[in-house]
Amino acid sequence: MTTLTTKPPTVPFDRPTTGRGRRRMPVGKSFASLILIAAAALTIFPLIWLVLTSLREQNTVFGGPFIPTSITFDAYSKAWTSTNFGLHFLNSLWITTATVAGVVIFSALAGYAFAKLRFPFKNVIYVALLATLMMPSTSLIIPLYLQLKSFGLLNSQAGLLILYISSSAPFSMFLMRAFFQTLPDELVQAARIDGAGELAVFWRVVLPLARPGIATVIIFQFLATWNEFIYANTVLQNTDELPLQPVLFSLVGQYATDWPTLTAGLTMSIVPVILVYVWMQRQFVAGMTLGAVKN
Amino acid sequence: MWKLQRTERLAGYGFVLPITVLFAIFVGYPILFAIYLSFTRWSGFGTPQFTGFANYTRMFNDPVAAGAFLNTIVFAVVTTIIQTAIPLFIAVLLSRVWKGLSVVIRTILFIPGIISFVVSGVLWKLIYDPNLGTLNNALKAVGLGDLAQHWLSDPALVMPSIIVVSVWAAIGMNMLIFFAGIQGVDPTYYEAAEVDGASRWQQFWYVTVPGLRVVTAIVVSLNLMNGFKVFDIIYVMTGGGPSHQSEVFGTYLYGLAFGSTAGSIPQLGYGSAFSVVVMLLCGVAVLVQITLTKRANR
Repeated sequence: MTTLTTKPPTVPFDRPTTGRGRRRMPVGKSFASLILIAAAALTIFPLIWLVLTSLREQNTVFGGPFIPTSITFDAYSKAWTSTNFGLHFLNSLWITTATVAGVVIFSALAGYAFAKLRFPFKNVIYVALLATLMMPSTSLIIPLYLQLKSFGLLNSQAGLLILYISSSAPFSMFLMRAFFQTLPDELVQAARIDGAGELAVFWRVVLPLARPGIATVIIFQFLATWNEFIYANTVLQNTDELPLQPVLFSLVGQYATDWPTLTAGLTMSIVPVILVYVWMQRQFVAGMTLGAVKN
Repeated sequence: MWKLQRTERLAGYGFVLPITVLFAIFVGYPILFAIYLSFTRWSGFGTPQFTGFANYTRMFNDPVAAGAFLNTIVFAVVTTIIQTAIPLFIAVLLSRVWKGLSVVIRTILFIPGIISFVVSGVLWKLIYDPNLGTLNNALKAVGLGDLAQHWLSDPALVMPSIIVVSVWAAIGMNMLIFFAGIQGVDPTYYEAAEVDGASRWQQFWYVTVPGLRVVTAIVVSLNLMNGFKVFDIIYVMTGGGPSHQSEVFGTYLYGLAFGSTAGSIPQLGYGSAFSVVVMLLCGVAVLVQITLTKRANR
């Protein structure tokens, strides 16, 4: 970065709050802005192209100008009806919602216990959970497939749900524990002295204070579950039960040359994640700081 | 007092019970099961046949496995380097521009990261399409038609083309982690350094860099792990092809167990051996993080 200037080496980045250019930078503010705007444009371009392609007339997809001269929503209605999109959308929605609910409940309970309660073997259990926290789904897919088969849970959404909850709850527990640790111990003790039972302390006193932590878990889990592919593609075979991702994958072969329909399907599938992201963006950044930096 | 402790203990066990049981059955046990299967030969019917280290020795004589090994390592290392350097650079730039712009840029850069790899894989497959894809069309439009390529079917280009998509998707998340890290560097350190007469370069080198070391360790290890276990994006874009040129451990083991690689007989034992290797590689990524963090705290 210092090669970009002839001035003597200076701090290559500045704290945002420092005013009056006291710490001069090797790269000017406007130059930095320029690089960033270019990066953002490059990043967003494929997505703009995606949406524009889905709006094109079937016969103008290939070789037309980048900005279509006329737009049509035909591809959307075609994608919706011909792929039974609504059904798979609802499958995704309910599987995701149920997973999020399960993960929030289990991870909040355990996170609180690990942060605030004293019981024998606490650390042993915690370390066991922590050690395999990041176990990749790629590694577990073969044994899990066989296991669900022997439990009779193969090809059922319930089986998929169990996999989702059990594989992601420990990570959320880790986040929740970090969050609960920021709450003062006196809070729990005071509630106990007031005669509240352990569950009441958790439910009425601690949980309401944990809203930002829970919001973080909800967003992360929503995105992860909505986008999950390998388990969904392996566990479920019955077309009617499939969530969106495996269906979108199968569209590639089906609509290999019908790009408007294909891109319309892709576009519709990302609406929920964009909504969740925009809606809860502040929480997202807060969660990132909590999860990534403080641990 | 004794009663209070007893209820606390009971509550503690009760609260961690659901997660622990689920985890033991659906994560703990499968890990052991995969390790066991990796020492067997099994098609899923009858009983697994114990074969000792046969699957592991077979790996060394399997040219596809060798290619998958190389691809997995290259993918993990290259994506980790790029996905650490670019986001760090962007985060540093972001912390210096006008706040409104910073928010907009951050929002945009993050969007690819919230989209599934199925969607981004299919999208980029269309972009890379040799005849109709936007990339080649754009190159032709600006007179660089000679650079137009068969991005996903050229053995030399398929991995780099996939890596571009991975980078595209990962920049936002890593940038945000670095950005949060930069915000978290204690401002009093800069003041102290200034009082001690440190130059601006020294301040960067002795305050900012150490301040971001733990964060960098996290980013590096997360990206390494994501690289070692990569599956979705390659499965969707190429399925490991053309002729295994983009095969990684994830796609290969999946093919052995569930897909076309197996032919008609699933090779669950041999596939599980790759599961174990991926686990070990992810363990290495964790060790990398521990080592880097320790060095940072010294």
